[in-house]
Amino acid sequence: MMEAITVQNLAKTFRLSHDRPGSLKALALAFRRMKLENLYALKGISFSVKAGETVAVIGKNGSGKSTLLGIMARVYRPTSGAVTMNGRVSSLLELGAGFHHELTGIENIYLNGSILGMRRRDITKRLDAIISFAALDPFIDAPIRTYSSGMVMRLGFSVAIQVDPDILLVDEVLAVGDESFQKKCYAKVRELQSAGKTIIFVSHDLDAVREVATRAIWLDSGEIRADDGVESVLDAYLAQSEGRP
Amino acid sequence: MIREFAELLRYRELLLNLVVRDLKIRYKNSVLGFFWSLLNPLLQVATITIVFKIILKLGVDNYSAYLLCAFLPWTFFQMSVADSAMSVPFHGNLVKKTYFPREILPASVVLSNLVHFILALGVFFVYLLVIGTPIRITWLLLPVVVLIQLLLNLGIAFFVSCLSVFYNDVKYMATVVLNLLYFALPIMYFIEHAFSSDRIPDSLKPALYYWNPLALLLTAYRKILLPPFNTATLHDIPFNYWYLALAGVTSLAICLAGYAFFNSKKWRFAEQL
Repeated sequence: MMEAITVQNLAKTFRLSHDRPGSLKALALAFRRMKLENLYALKGISFSVKAGETVAVIGKNGSGKSTLLGIMARVYRPTSGAVTMNGRVSSLLELGAGFHHELTGIENIYLNGSILGMRRRDITKRLDAIISFAALDPFIDAPIRTYSSGMVMRLGFSVAIQVDPDILLVDEVLAVGDESFQKKCYAKVRELQSAGKTIIFVSHDLDAVREVATRAIWLDSGEIRADDGVESVLDAYLAQSEGRP
Repeated sequence: MIREFAELLRYRELLLNLVVRDLKIRYKNSVLGFFWSLLNPLLQVATITIVFKIILKLGVDNYSAYLLCAFLPWTFFQMSVADSAMSVPFHGNLVKKTYFPREILPASVVLSNLVHFILALGVFFVYLLVIGTPIRITWLLLPVVVLIQLLLNLGIAFFVSCLSVFYNDVKYMATVVLNLLYFALPIMYFIEHAFSSDRIPDSLKPALYYWNPLALLLTAYRKILLPPFNTATLHDIPFNYWYLALAGVTSLAICLAGYAFFNSKKWRFAEQL
């Protein structure tokens, strides 16, 4: 089977922000004694994901999960190493990115869709599907400042899920909306899985991980601690975090 | 750089959508709406006209027209630069979470200011016809001058928006410099004033008013849109259109340099914001 994602020796180092001069004055003053403190978010990890796999990335806060997703989504450039993505990528790192509260639901669908790289005519084609998935039919012409926060999240999720990606990156966003909407989200994820899409899924919700993923990668301080079937990785992870041997 | 530009073209719909969004939002929830775009320069010009024509008694016919003619493009420049300083931080969430060519952010604020500028120019032409200004063949050059200014504005916007991500000071510095330029550039006065002044060294005058693209453009708008004027003390200096070509080359160079600079830094935005 074709590799959808190849990650080779991927490393990412952040310069800690409190050491960066925030102004010209600070730069002038700190120029000589500025020492750079580095944060090694990812320390040279390698793995590959086959097309059609659903991989969960788990780990403590600060273990590098979001950095990994950020690099896959092309928000960050790697410090060294490389990530190759074969296919169209859609990232659900932030729902409703670029939504403006004064614009109507429809206007925001077009704006958000174009941020996610969709063409206008593709959005028009999928407009009905987006609106009905979000169940926002009666409100879609109202400015979204009149929406509840749940409605805004639902709209954001509906647009992102309609991008029709080959690879979907998901960061903790499946837990939006009420229970019935969440059921719809999981149903949609299943649909994408059976359509052969590749999904990378970051979550702290281990039940969700068990439910969706077949494989799990456990990141620990920027390194891969385990990469295996979801059950065995979760068992090891739980054992470690509960302090058992 | 060509690859970056192709990627930008691929995202042209996002650029367009952001421009439309800017235009829709700017005056939403205000009674006068778009008229604020016109009212603002009109009120300023009215005040300046009163000061210069009635209080200082500057004897130029239709002084308001000459003033407005440089003031509207100045507003286009000033708003483009001021808005671009905010453009990337304002979209911080977007930059930190999604991929798209970052140059769309400064480009969209410049383009939405271009739309305001063109609308204001439309009103300005109505005003010219009302006061009976003769139609001139050089009006046909207006799109060229606007295009050159667009390049210049984009170039400066790339520099300012990129630097303002890394240094907060840039925002404040832009405000200060823009305020100074407003008085220093030939907006309220004419280049004829400057050229007839014996306190400016003659060798400096071409550099200040012909080689400097912004000053040249502001004067170009006057020369191509309005008839030459002559008063007892000031004599119209004919416009040398070759300087417009020079301004075009300079503006294009600034635009490309700004774009290259922006591109060399843009992937660090997400880490910096």
